[in-house]
Amino acid sequence: MTDRQELLHTPEGVWDHYGKDYMEYTRTAHQVKLAFHAYGYEDIKTPTFEFFDVFSREVGTTPSRELYKFFDREGNTLVLRPDFTPSVARCAAKYFRESSEPLRFCYEGSAFQNTANLQGKLHESTELGAELIGDGTAAGDAEVIAMLIDGILKTGLTKFQISVGNVEYFKGICEAAGLDADTERDLRDALSGKNYFKVQDLLKDRNVAEIYRDQIMRITGFMRDGKDLEEAREKTSSRRAQAALERLLDLDRLLEDYGFEKYVSYDLSLLSRYQYYTGILFKGYTYGVGEPIASGGRYDGLLAHFGKDAPAVGFMIPLDTMVEALRAQHIPIKVPEGPTVLTYTEEDFAKVLQKAKALRAEGARVVMTRAKTEDAG
Amino acid sequence: MEELTIALTKGRLAEKSMKLLTKAGYPCREMEEDSRKLIFRNDALALSFFLSKGPDVPTYVEYGAADIGITGSDIIMEENRRAYEVLDLGFGKCRMCVAGPESARQLLEHHEMIRVASKYPNIAREYFQNRRHQTVDIIKLNGSVELGPIVQLSDVIVDIVETGSTLRENGLTVLDTVCDLSARMIVNQVSMQMKTDRILELIGRVRDVLEEKA
Repeated sequence: MTDRQELLHTPEGVWDHYGKDYMEYTRTAHQVKLAFHAYGYEDIKTPTFEFFDVFSREVGTTPSRELYKFFDREGNTLVLRPDFTPSVARCAAKYFRESSEPLRFCYEGSAFQNTANLQGKLHESTELGAELIGDGTAAGDAEVIAMLIDGILKTGLTKFQISVGNVEYFKGICEAAGLDADTERDLRDALSGKNYFKVQDLLKDRNVAEIYRDQIMRITGFMRDGKDLEEAREKTSSRRAQAALERLLDLDRLLEDYGFEKYVSYDLSLLSRYQYYTGILFKGYTYGVGEPIASGGRYDGLLAHFGKDAPAVGFMIPLDTMVEALRAQHIPIKVPEGPTVLTYTEEDFAKVLQKAKALRAEGARVVMTRAKTEDAG
Repeated sequence: MEELTIALTKGRLAEKSMKLLTKAGYPCREMEEDSRKLIFRNDALALSFFLSKGPDVPTYVEYGAADIGITGSDIIMEENRRAYEVLDLGFGKCRMCVAGPESARQLLEHHEMIRVASKYPNIAREYFQNRRHQTVDIIKLNGSVELGPIVQLSDVIVDIVETGSTLRENGLTVLDTVCDLSARMIVNQVSMQMKTDRILELIGRVRDVLEEKA
């Protein structure tokens, strides 16, 4: 008996979904995808596992030890995708190498991360996302962020914030200050952890020039709108950092045209652990969950890694976190009513079947069950 | 006003944290009364406080069960949870050290394999692998780590040292400092975005109190 019981458990980090609970997931995903499709994005499906090189260190995605790896017969290392973006980039580079037209893809599927046990993190999570390939303009950035906002709104969530940063600001100031790679990395870690006192210590320790200290500390401040961005632009002398802020200002104006400015704020300390991001970066936050409900950014160098030189921008929504947020905020997720149940006996089976067929043809969900009789088991 | 929930580390650290928060204008009278309550409230200021074991504070904060947490930097390093580390509170100062009998000092000089007993396996591994470039066998203990080298379970230990008197009484000495430690304030990354004004105000007021002292 006990042996059989063990068979029923799933490994750590994965679980079963069924019934109404699962329907809430699929309905939420459906709502979000309505927004993707409304913007003309086409569904794409890439393999669940790929060659290791697609997710290698040079690509700058999940660290190798957090990947699920295994071998095929030939001895190639295969990886369960930890993240869709490199897969979509590879696919686009393979099939659309010559195309200069923008490509619009959206996807839904499982991503796998082999993180430490007992941290309550899912090892298989469902991600919804979209990528815009071949558009390097601020209008492309705005399109993707606006689509994300529309997608979130479609789920019924209204209280959320999209925080937007630009890695180029940080890189520009590091370049102007002539910081070495180690200092840059340490600063990036401290800044993305909002660890201000560590940033201050680092700046002092590594003898960073006074004028740049202020500009780096400025990263830690929050920016509400265009005015704050303009003020930051006046304070910096780095051309690259100025360009980064100008890009955010363009984006701010475009998002205003979309009517979405109230959902957006700016945070220059937003720096991702995925190193393939090259320009704007953004994360979506809401009440009730401790993790972002969306994250994304621009990755202009990633496709070149696969042989197609094209700019790209995209994002993903972790469906599990999204549903958790909806539940925490008591936002009802509309799921269809249960199916109509028709009972039949041996005698009237044919008649009931006709009725069921007619209802099913109209699109109703119909379950047929045998009537309970006295002598039936 | 948006509700703020603060997780504190049980014991002395909680007392010091509350003293600091009270001075900064975030008191909680309920907490001073003797009670079996798990959550303490200050309704006028829309604040909730709760006490937990140190290593659980970063967990509560990472999941957003608490917006803000106060705990030692040893725990933050060891747990390596995702949370913003926003303030060094300056109290609870001590050091994370490698300690052992004097005879073990030479084991640190070469890149040889070393056996380490510690309550902090992650910090110990980080230190020996990345700073000493040494192969390390870590034995996780849950208390009285000093016993390790005495009963020859391990060559050295990695542990918190305040005065060093426990070490001296047991014939152990500090062989190296891994890092300095103190109490830190951490903030959930989502709370920081969604309750920005309240949290930045709290950080600002606590920082003012700290600067006044210094």
